[in-house]
Amino acid sequence: MPMKVIFVELDRCLACRSCERVCSFQETGGFKRENANIWVNVDLDRRSIFTMTCLQCETALCLEICPVEAIRRDPRTRAVVVDEARCVGCRMCVPACPFGNIHFENRRHVAVKCDLCGGNPQCVKNCMAGALHYADINELAEIKRRRMNGLLVQGEEGRPG
Amino acid sequence: MNTRPTIENGVIPTLCRMCDTRCAVNVHLKEGVISDITPFGGHPVNHGRMCPRATAAIDQFYHPRRITTPLKRRPDGSFEKISREQALDEIADKMAAIREAHGARAVGFWKGEGVGFAQQEQYVRRFAHAFGSPNYFSNDSACYNGRYLGHSLVFGFWNPFPRFTEAGLILLFGTNPPMCHPPFMREFADARARGAKLVVIDPRLNPVACYADIFAQPYPGTDGALGWGLIRHLIESRSYDHELVERYSVGFGRLARYARRFTPEVVEQESGIYKDVVVEIAEMIIKYSPHVSIFTGAGLEHHENGVNNIRTLASLGCLCGALDRGSGFFWPEAFPGRRLELYEDLHLEDQGPIGAHRFPVLYEKRRECHSMTAMDYMLGDGDYRLRGLIMTAANPAVTNPNTAKVEKALAGLDLLVVNDFFMTPTARLAHYILPAATFLERSELHCHIKYQMVTLARKVLEVSGIRDDYMLWHDLAHRLGFGRQYFPWKSEEEVTRWILEPTGICLEDLLAHPEGIVYKPVRYLKYRQRPLPTPSGKIEFASAYLGKMGLAEIPEYTPPYHRRRRSDAYPFVLTTGARMSLFYHSRHQNIPRFRTVHPAAVVEMHPQDAAELGVRDAQRVRIVSRAGSLEIAVHIVHPSELRRGVVEVYHGWEKWRVNQVTCDDVNDPISGFPLLKGVPVRIEPVPDP
Repeated sequence: MPMKVIFVELDRCLACRSCERVCSFQETGGFKRENANIWVNVDLDRRSIFTMTCLQCETALCLEICPVEAIRRDPRTRAVVVDEARCVGCRMCVPACPFGNIHFENRRHVAVKCDLCGGNPQCVKNCMAGALHYADINELAEIKRRRMNGLLVQGEEGRPG
Repeated sequence: MNTRPTIENGVIPTLCRMCDTRCAVNVHLKEGVISDITPFGGHPVNHGRMCPRATAAIDQFYHPRRITTPLKRRPDGSFEKISREQALDEIADKMAAIREAHGARAVGFWKGEGVGFAQQEQYVRRFAHAFGSPNYFSNDSACYNGRYLGHSLVFGFWNPFPRFTEAGLILLFGTNPPMCHPPFMREFADARARGAKLVVIDPRLNPVACYADIFAQPYPGTDGALGWGLIRHLIESRSYDHELVERYSVGFGRLARYARRFTPEVVEQESGIYKDVVVEIAEMIIKYSPHVSIFTGAGLEHHENGVNNIRTLASLGCLCGALDRGSGFFWPEAFPGRRLELYEDLHLEDQGPIGAHRFPVLYEKRRECHSMTAMDYMLGDGDYRLRGLIMTAANPAVTNPNTAKVEKALAGLDLLVVNDFFMTPTARLAHYILPAATFLERSELHCHIKYQMVTLARKVLEVSGIRDDYMLWHDLAHRLGFGRQYFPWKSEEEVTRWILEPTGICLEDLLAHPEGIVYKPVRYLKYRQRPLPTPSGKIEFASAYLGKMGLAEIPEYTPPYHRRRRSDAYPFVLTTGARMSLFYHSRHQNIPRFRTVHPAAVVEMHPQDAAELGVRDAQRVRIVSRAGSLEIAVHIVHPSELRRGVVEVYHGWEKWRVNQVTCDDVNDPISGFPLLKGVPVRIEPVPDP
């Protein structure tokens, strides 16, 4: 069965930042952006919004590099999760991740990343733009194909179909 | 806090009222305690998603600083706890005494945003009239009414929520949807996925502009000039809806003549928007007409030319043929339920409703008294003195302009009663404070008129000692002798059943359908079958009604105050009121996690302005206007976020009240709205201590 991941339909995101906030709340009970495991990056120079979270890589470099096997796959959700009790705080996983989707928590001194909220991701529930999905990644391909169809078939009176 | 849950364990679907979007949510109870709030899946308003404000309803409900018992002010200014019976007895006695000595109109009633609108608003309007006072005030005298009037003067109604999903072109004026109307995000994305274009006109560059096909940054309050320029282009190129103009409108000739002067060059000079951009926007409108959504936010109405700027854009939408289409100015059919107001039964127009002589349109069209003028009446500068004020969940000591005057006016009242959840700066001035019920403690009807849908918001639990607003008005009415006649229903549920009687929908139907019930299927282009609800029954590009009031019949453009009265003493333009994602006006500041995002007020400023003033980020400055001053920290923004010379402060902070600086005496002549988004100010660096 294909694994469900959190993915972002990037051009739906208008940077309300609700995902960052509810994510950090899951982690800490607060709304601090640095505690979140999903990030909305707004670049006003380029007028771009780029939102990303852990891709739960099949070959997860953070998991591969961890010398104490503190990073493992959750058998149920297949998320790449950190076992904080085993984590020795060596920080090796942070440089290993090519995307910056795992970070070091400076109070508890452990690595932290998206664990899919155990299969009930709060960021998705709180994404009112409908930009975040929790589904098989091929859903995203399907969404894009549908959109392309819509753009190619123009409706009457100059109105998009 | 002693609570009585409606059910011990389980889920109650209801509508969130942490803002006026009213998303459908599920409230989860475990052993009588709210354990979680999650999105409800089947409602068209929020499609199974919600924002972080919804779960904060739990924090609001159980907040340690929540007022849970009536309080009475002692002579030394402190408060003592008293019983609800005693509080209501004394309040009713004092109201009766004022009525006896000075007439009923000497007591006013003020509904704030905190309890919402709908049924809650109707209770207050009903009570005021039954008591004999025409003086009903609300937060609407500085929000919503300006846009309502701007649109309804042109075509007789306003639906603030277009179906953007049906649009080919969306034009946003002075609004930041991700902050103000989160469900719009989904609709924009759906529309854009089908190829719709987005044009954003705002003095502030918000992230939504990252997806705009065109973003233009006008000087605050100059949207009308752009509107006229676009109208001119449509008319000159004969690219407007001829049938609609010829068969369904009046005043087109005058509109066309007045528009002539707004060449792209004039628009550029007035608004700062490049002339080529004006033409480009106009061409886009022509291409996508009639599937054009023109949405004006509160950004336009807080100017003294606000209503006419909005009328101009409403007229533009009509020329595109967007009238009564889903994506355009949809004409909603009203919910057929009974209404509680008494305007037909009891006529009090001759009782000197406050503000009606200054802003007759506001009173005639909205039956709304003018809260800024009320301050003059409290201070003895009106035709009579306003001596008593009963408020529910309103916080004018923060949100009305000219704070010093508001506080002085409220403090001088013989009787100020504030019904609220928390000890607000307004409540601190009260003689009596009553504990108000949050939305989780009441049940009421809500209409989402965009879908012509009615949904029942349900009571989740009760707090002992706190009654819902209906019971407040009911209990006061019975003490004052008009309860049996005007507030006969024993509970809010009985009222709801009475409202529903003629509709064919009963309470049980609504309980069984938390996803809402369509009370009438949506139909478009109804103006082809029946007259519009304007005096002429047609679109009014020129309004004879306004002419009779001594106002310009066509929405003439007046440059904003800050451009007409340039002054070296006040070289900056202060705009206030841009929304923040987690607060709702002055509400939600006491939710600790929200404060981690918005810890303190700042004045946002262009980097070059900061450099010229010699101030660093986070340094304190003093903002000074002719009304007052405010000390606040600077936040230097990205150079494209604000124009040079424009600074911005959020409007709802209790501790840093920007309304100390705003003026209450520069008003739109139609709506009476105060100038909140173009205040001339100067900025003085405050030396580090």
